[in-house]
Amino acid sequence: MEDFAFHRPGSVAEAQETLRGTEDSKFMAGGQSLIPLMKLDMAAPGAVVSLTGIDELRGIEQQDGSLVIGAGMTHSEVAESDDVRNAISALAGLAGSIGDPQVRNRGTLGGSVAHADPAADYPAALVALGATVITDRREIAAEDFFQGMFETPLETDEVITSVRFPVPDSAGYSKFPNPASKYAIAGVMVARNGADVKVAVTGAGTGVFRATAFEEALAGDFSAGALDGASVSADGLVSDTDASAEYRAHLVGVMARRAVEACG
Amino acid sequence: MSNNGRKIKSDWNLIGTPMRKVEGLDKSTGRALYTDDLVFPGMLHGKILRSPHPHARIVSIDTSSAEALDGVHGVVTGQDMPTTYGIIPWTPDEYPLCVDRVRYVGDGVAAVAAVDEDTALRALELIEVEYEELPAFFDPFEALEADGSTPYVHEPKKADWNGNVTKKVHLEFGEVDELMDGSDAVVEGEYFFEGSTHTAIEPHCAIGLWQAGGGFQRQDGESSGKLTVWSATQVPHYLHRELARVLEVDQAHVRVLQPLVGGAFGGKSEPFDLEFCVAKLSMITGRPVKILYTREEVFYAHRGRHPFHMKYRTGATAAGKLTSVDAEIVLDGGAYASFGLVTTYYAGQLLCAPYEMPAYRFDSTRVYTNKPACGPKRGHGSVQPRFAFEVQIDKLSERLDLDPIEFRRLNFIGSNTRTINELRVTSNGFMECLESVERESAWKDRFRKLPFGCGLGVAGSTYITGTNYPIYPNDMPQSGVQMQVDRSGRVAVFSGASEIGQGCDSMVAYIAAEELGVPLDYVRVLRGDTDFTPVDLGAYSSRVTFMVGNAAIDAARKLRGMVQEAVAEEWDVKPGEVLLAGGLALWAPDTERQMHVKEAFNLAEAKFGTLGSTGSYNTPKDVHGEYRGATIGASPAYSFTAHVAEVEVDVETGIVDVKKIWVAHDCGRALNPVLVEGQMEGSAYMGFGEALMEEQVFKDAEHGRAGLHDAPSLLDYRIPTSLDTPELQSLIVESIDPEGPYGAKEAGEGPLHPSIPAIANAIYDAVGVRMDRLPFSPPNVWRALEAAREADTLRKPILNPGAGAPTSTPELVPGD
Ligand SMILES: Cc1cc2nc3c(=O)[nH]c(=O)nc-3n(C[C@H](O)[C@H](O)[C@H](O)COP(=O)(O)OP(=O)(O)OC[C@H]3O[C@@H](n4cnc5c(N)ncnc54)[C@H](O)[C@@H]3O)c2cc1C
Repeated sequence: MEDFAFHRPGSVAEAQETLRGTEDSKFMAGGQSLIPLMKLDMAAPGAVVSLTGIDELRGIEQQDGSLVIGAGMTHSEVAESDDVRNAISALAGLAGSIGDPQVRNRGTLGGSVAHADPAADYPAALVALGATVITDRREIAAEDFFQGMFETPLETDEVITSVRFPVPDSAGYSKFPNPASKYAIAGVMVARNGADVKVAVTGAGTGVFRATAFEEALAGDFSAGALDGASVSADGLVSDTDASAEYRAHLVGVMARRAVEACG
Repeated sequence: MSNNGRKIKSDWNLIGTPMRKVEGLDKSTGRALYTDDLVFPGMLHGKILRSPHPHARIVSIDTSSAEALDGVHGVVTGQDMPTTYGIIPWTPDEYPLCVDRVRYVGDGVAAVAAVDEDTALRALELIEVEYEELPAFFDPFEALEADGSTPYVHEPKKADWNGNVTKKVHLEFGEVDELMDGSDAVVEGEYFFEGSTHTAIEPHCAIGLWQAGGGFQRQDGESSGKLTVWSATQVPHYLHRELARVLEVDQAHVRVLQPLVGGAFGGKSEPFDLEFCVAKLSMITGRPVKILYTREEVFYAHRGRHPFHMKYRTGATAAGKLTSVDAEIVLDGGAYASFGLVTTYYAGQLLCAPYEMPAYRFDSTRVYTNKPACGPKRGHGSVQPRFAFEVQIDKLSERLDLDPIEFRRLNFIGSNTRTINELRVTSNGFMECLESVERESAWKDRFRKLPFGCGLGVAGSTYITGTNYPIYPNDMPQSGVQMQVDRSGRVAVFSGASEIGQGCDSMVAYIAAEELGVPLDYVRVLRGDTDFTPVDLGAYSSRVTFMVGNAAIDAARKLRGMVQEAVAEEWDVKPGEVLLAGGLALWAPDTERQMHVKEAFNLAEAKFGTLGSTGSYNTPKDVHGEYRGATIGASPAYSFTAHVAEVEVDVETGIVDVKKIWVAHDCGRALNPVLVEGQMEGSAYMGFGEALMEEQVFKDAEHGRAGLHDAPSLLDYRIPTSLDTPELQSLIVESIDPEGPYGAKEAGEGPLHPSIPAIANAIYDAVGVRMDRLPFSPPNVWRALEAAREADTLRKPILNPGAGAPTSTPELVPGD
């Protein structure tokens, strides 16, 4: 790992100013994705600007049928929040299924969303729930936000401040985790709002995507049985030592059925 | 039967009771010193440059820029150490660093010593190696087909031989074909056992220190230097020999020290490039040099479990007696021989118990491929065939409508007998092992009766308690121990044994304390230094407790005799009436008459002078046949094991959840039951990991660089964590071996074997699907489930289907 300067500002504005002050500098929240990259010399920021001292990025609020979660909230905080559990228990469960206790105690919602790892859990929740990513300068719908592997529309000095999740009628999440990291090999979030059903898949492809055929089947008959034998096409899915594309395609079907069963 | 001669526990004060490991507190508090903890003034750090090609000729190496880099003190290449070595004296096929050819991605080419690791790494980047790439062999069957039109992995010993063959063994006992033809049932199967690595927590590490002159004046007036090497090795004696030979230093001026070792499992049982490199770099730089492998390098140094491609035919009578066994095995050896000659024999030789085989043939061929070299891993060479064979037995039992435990009982070989390949078997507690797992798992009520998806499977096995012969032929003892007692009552044990976490320091301490009557904390074990301790051959083949234990008893009893004699003289009683126990010397007829053991030692020292003794152990020589290869697999005693595994299969995802493994193991006598249980659990755990997770995958040219290890890290290579590990229940069986120390046999490797076939057989009981290829990972199990769904065979197998008399048509078991 190369040497770097470290700053811990107290406000978003100050953080942005600090960031602009050094070339190649990076925001850091929990460091659970950034630090591993730095250790592998795949990132070598001149300065690291920590977002952990900024109150504006914290908190969980109920707002007109939505849950607004501060970008700086850790996975543990989301998993253990009564507000989240009561409103969208699947979201609390998802946060509680990330990595291990150490990762959950450091890693944040904002960091996970900004990093846009194709195997991360949160993107499935954001897309299935129709969430909105709120930054210091704009609001971006989840489906426009995740643009593929590690790709987002965020500008270098743009800070995610919170994410707004509309509370659905019901939602369920099921994942087949990587046995070591717990990242999703195939993770499926299903959310229902009246007749509208969204099914978002993470881990299987090069970015989160919606399984529209599943959505149509579930719109007519919201039951696990409606997805019997259903799977997605293996074309374009990830193949690695843990799972071939074909196996991932199969798992997406299984996880989708289990997610429907998990819907409260 | 096997309880014959069993001593009641009260015959011993310590032996048989749960005790701490003597170094346990140091390890758990972080005080224990491992090789990498050692730091010397002026010490340099070394790094090894490794080949990016699986097979290539080295055209030239230019190290000048690296040598010119600030902070670099020395660079060596293969030319500096052009002597081949190999752990087996008949197959020396490795150089410390490659001289003219690299044979796998990761083969060492040059080494650098610098002021720190970062500088050494930068220096590696400055070394220019010109390679001429050669076609590589990755598939053992393709390697076998090779005709020499492209270079073999190694030059053949004779012009018309295939240089890709390390060793071929063909042995036949009894009338194999006749008995097979006359069998009522024959099962044929093809199996694949995946390779795996040891994953010891401590990576290999070595420090070399060359002291020029070293204070030794030779007769010719030249003064010779002294070489000291600290290494995380499990074979300091063999390392001592090879360092002297390859580096051309008088063996008397080479000292090998073995700090505590953080696990080995067979992965540190031969010399490695880093040990030669630290020594040579220290000779060049005049400074101590340390090399610590990265985890990635551990994956490339490898010497892990060989992948085995196996075909078995197994015959039995309608009544369930085995008739004939025929095996064909191809071992994928990787780039170097390592222990491969032995592995090739073990692949066949170690299968002949605990069941009686009227006829047996095996054909075993080890093939070189351009991949990291395979070697010995816990259960060396015998875990793979055991998997195949125990699944074969499960299939045969089913064909014959027999309960598989019953089938195993029917074929029990017995104790005090010889196997078909003429190995002498003494104590044998296999029947008790079967009984324990049958009882504890409630087998009779549950086998074939659990709901679909849930199942039980059984398997048995045997393993050697030490190899009967040393790696290099000689008539000297396999193990030596020296002991001395001092005026404070303390006992010092000088042991050549290799403490790799298994507890051999503790074991000799227990024996010294038991025999000399001192409290355990009066015993000091001094070990791991070839300058001061007698030779023990190393921690491999489960030999240490048996051999070092017997040597320790020998040494301790000599001392005890002197102490008894001196005390008897003082009390004017018979020496045999003097007991040494609990820190006291006692008169047996009236134990009120006693003195502190320290006084007793002082009396003995006054009578005999300074008190010391030596003890040694060597194996009996009449324990095997006379045919070529008969000595390989011979052991003074064999351990026996049986497992029952319980699984639940998720038929949608292919996830196999192993709920519990019952592990019954005949270790002769458990000198310390806590350590025995630790070995049993650790073994079953390791087998479980191989069964479900581990895979040695190499990239092919389409998916990266051919021959590159696909997962050389603990993030990507799958081993179970404690969270993944099933409940393990250890059931110790004590058959009390007539030749073992207090009746003890091995416990460190045997209990691994049945895990894998027991899980495979349990999967079959759960869903009716045979897993004949490792690992039983979710995608592999899912594929097998899909095939069964298509063939409409995905269902609970039925016990006693009343299918009528078995025919002799072999049941052909498809491969993948
Ligand atoms: C062992 C391990 C296991 C894991 N398992 C899982 C898992 O099972 N599921 C899963 O989903 N994830 C998993 N992760 C990833 C983990 O959830 C990370 O916490 C997450 O991906 C990043 O969050 P962070 O707060 O640590 O971000 P950081 O690592 O601090 O930052 C990541 C990136 O986001 C940027 N960033 C951070 N915060 C903001 C912000 N507010 N605005 C704009 N940019 C920002 C940073 O500049 C950086 O580029 C695992 C990680 C580890 C190390």
